[in-house]
Amino acid sequence: MEALQKIFPANNFALLLLILGMPLIGAFVNGVFGKRLGKDAVRLMALSALGISFVGAVVSFLMLRAVQHESDLAARFVWHGWEWIGLSRAGEASFIHAGAGSNLIRLEIAFSIDALNGTMALIVTGIGFLIHLYSSSYMAEDPGYHRFFAYLNLFIFSMLVLILGDSLPILFVGWEGVGLCSYLLIGFWFDSEANARAGKKAFIVNRVGDFGLLVAMALLVRYTGALDWDGINAGSAGLLTEMRIWDGQLFSFLPDFITQPRSVSVATLVGLALFLGCAGKSAQVPLYTWLPDAMAGPTPVSALIHAATMVTAGIYLVCRLSGVFTLSPAAMLVVASAGAFTALFAASIALVQRDIKKVLAYSTVSQLGYMFLGVGVGAFTAGFFHVLTHAFFKACLFLGAGSVIHAMHARIHDTDASQDVNNMGGLKKYLKVTHATFLVSVLAIAGMPFTSGFFSKDEILYSAFTRSVVSERAGAFEWPSWAGSVLFAVGVTAAVMTAFYMFRVYFLTFHGTFKGWRIVPGWHEPHGHHDDHHHDHHHHSGPIDGPEPHESPWQMTLPLVILATLAAFGGFLNAAPLHIVPLEHWLEPLFSTLVEESRLHNADPDHALMMPLLVPGVLAFLIGTTVAWVIYIKQSGAPAKSLAERFPALYQLLVDKWRVDELYDELIVGSLEALAEASVWFDRWVVDGIIARLTALLVTVWGHLLRLLQTGHAQAYAAMMVLGMGVIGWFVAVPQPKVIVSGDAATGQYSLQAAPGLGYSYRWDSNGDGTFDSEDFGSTAQVTVRLDEGATQDVRLEVRNAFGRTRSGVYQLSRPRRDGSTAMLGHAHGVAGAGLDLSLDSDSTRGIR
Amino acid sequence: MALSDTLEHYVLLSSLIFTIGGVGFLVRRNVLVQLMSIELMLNSVNLLLVAFNRVHGATMGGQIFAFFIIAVAAAEVAVGLAIILSYYRLKSTVYTDEADLMRH
Repeated sequence: MEALQKIFPANNFALLLLILGMPLIGAFVNGVFGKRLGKDAVRLMALSALGISFVGAVVSFLMLRAVQHESDLAARFVWHGWEWIGLSRAGEASFIHAGAGSNLIRLEIAFSIDALNGTMALIVTGIGFLIHLYSSSYMAEDPGYHRFFAYLNLFIFSMLVLILGDSLPILFVGWEGVGLCSYLLIGFWFDSEANARAGKKAFIVNRVGDFGLLVAMALLVRYTGALDWDGINAGSAGLLTEMRIWDGQLFSFLPDFITQPRSVSVATLVGLALFLGCAGKSAQVPLYTWLPDAMAGPTPVSALIHAATMVTAGIYLVCRLSGVFTLSPAAMLVVASAGAFTALFAASIALVQRDIKKVLAYSTVSQLGYMFLGVGVGAFTAGFFHVLTHAFFKACLFLGAGSVIHAMHARIHDTDASQDVNNMGGLKKYLKVTHATFLVSVLAIAGMPFTSGFFSKDEILYSAFTRSVVSERAGAFEWPSWAGSVLFAVGVTAAVMTAFYMFRVYFLTFHGTFKGWRIVPGWHEPHGHHDDHHHDHHHHSGPIDGPEPHESPWQMTLPLVILATLAAFGGFLNAAPLHIVPLEHWLEPLFSTLVEESRLHNADPDHALMMPLLVPGVLAFLIGTTVAWVIYIKQSGAPAKSLAERFPALYQLLVDKWRVDELYDELIVGSLEALAEASVWFDRWVVDGIIARLTALLVTVWGHLLRLLQTGHAQAYAAMMVLGMGVIGWFVAVPQPKVIVSGDAATGQYSLQAAPGLGYSYRWDSNGDGTFDSEDFGSTAQVTVRLDEGATQDVRLEVRNAFGRTRSGVYQLSRPRRDGSTAMLGHAHGVAGAGLDLSLDSDSTRGIR
Repeated sequence: MALSDTLEHYVLLSSLIFTIGGVGFLVRRNVLVQLMSIELMLNSVNLLLVAFNRVHGATMGGQIFAFFIIAVAAAEVAVGLAIILSYYRLKSTVYTDEADLMRH
């Protein structure tokens, strides 16, 4: 350990480059050469890249642990790259936070690792490795094998950039990177229109959230003067500035509550803007709609990106910027309520979905809601703990679902039919490992006591009831006293639903009788991509001839077993009711440096309520499970059918996912389309119809006129040339008494500069007395006149040219009064009226010298 | 004084010839006559140059320019006659009323 600390010192922690670099190399090699390398080499490259990355993450984690163990302070290793962007503060006098002293905000390419993102990196690389292993078999027959692994490695790289980046802009790069990979992988089978559409939807919905993130970054630069984590925390005092967001003055005829000017603290705005970003990435209300559609991608992608890692980026960001969020109780209440509402809302949709992956997707949205509920009430460890346990059991569930779908493909080659739980049933007999691991994970997510989900979910519920965020300032927003009970009640209700719908899926999939026989009557021997698994099943005789569902190869079952083990026992990382809390000890030093203790209110400091509050959680598990058992096992689904028949409207509403997609289609997509229609109309009739035709007409008319001049006769052209030369000759022959006046009303000094010309000589009458200053013409081209305030004076200039012709002009100068209504301070345009005296002295023609 | 008077005469004569050439170019219809008119204008300038060279004789610039103009005029006539010749072959006429091909 000491040797490692010498090689990788804390302030130049180059090991991060290895962790980050390997997936990038993997993505590059597989992306560029993958097609020529063949599947074995692609698999080797992708898996070894992830493996090395994982080992690097483990080593970093152990080193962090050693340091933190010694000092009891939050350990942090940094690697500084190079300066990326320098934002100048020049010209911005009113930066609120002036602590840095410098006028330049430097953004570095820098990565750091500490307790929070060290743990996260373990999840990303560890579960990432397992899912890579799984995919190497799941995708074995896919022609886009190398493309898939290139995207997957690129995703891991982007995700690591996101979590290891030492500043918000670097996080944003990773944030967009995972968004891109998510898009690419959702639309991996892009030859189907629906998949491509789902990818686009995910990308576009996330843009809405990214807008929030960009706004938050701008506000942070303005009010904290930094974008790196340390700088943001150091300057966070500037976020308490009040900002006027509603100036009622404009609408004075409206009622009082509108005309009252409103202001909020900048911290609230930053918190809400950041949460918009988090809601997009982590699929919270109102931006959750993309995640269920994202299940169009390959199942390992759903497990890795859309369950275990990417979607938890929002929770990571809230934890990382907890010092900013806790400054605003209002923003935290929004986070917590949005989380609680999402948990309940998504769970209600999951109750009736038929597609196994859709159920898991809505379950993911719901569980992410729990995490936001946890971090929203200030229980960052609890929220993050749920990230951890959810990654275990949800990845296992998705991979299990993938294994089931893989098995279903033995009989059904249609994507929708093979994922429909109504076509499954009785798979327990065929998929022994998958069944066992799936059951463990279902128990964990449902919250069976002593599984991982039990500990993490109940800690969130306990925190929701007891904890809140308070402001240090007087008169700031305060949480209502009933907030805790409401959040707790919503969370418990969602927990009942979770237990119910997870067991519904489990019973429908693995119990009862297999219904897949009926789906494809007249089934023929499959050809193509499952041949190698089938030949040893031929002697079995199913109810109808044809291949049976079969267990997956070891590359797919091994990750399932590992994840199921973690799902079962991972809870002891933070088993608060048993007082086994290593995770809390691990993260506590970090959060105590980020968040001041006084901002977090705990109504139950001595944990007296912990045991009583476990009861509703356990009851939720028991009720949900029992109801599912009664309905789907005891009575084989009959009550579900009769309920659906009794409340057809409600049932249909749930099946249609509360029709939120349709609502968005009507409101947002519809209004955009209406705007597009209006624009098209405008373009067609106004731009093309009027403006373009008018221009064309104008050009045509002028063209016709000018064409008349083009006779083609050389003589006509020559005549025009003679005419033009005559005009130029006249201009040269006649003297031009032009003057440029410059001056300043404040001093009254005006200077007149006569225009130069060939052989010109000048004489001036600069005092306005009617006689020239000197009778002789001279070379003085400039005179200066001084005027009193409000005075007006004429200046006469006479010019003689080389031919002896003279011409004169009169210029009137006037200086405005300082309080005069016509005063133009600063620059004075002295010429009020340049009365040109066109008296041409025609007698003065003389011979050529 | 005598020299200046003489120069004035030269200038007047040159202007006269130039005007005759210019008007001739503008009003005559025969291309050959127009070409001759151009020659008149060029030579009036030559006359002027040589006359001024007598007053400012130190550099002989006027004389040299006159030679340049003679050489350029010769080249111009060669090209001009060639154009007229091919134009005549095309249209069987040397009158410029019909010579409006430049319009295209």
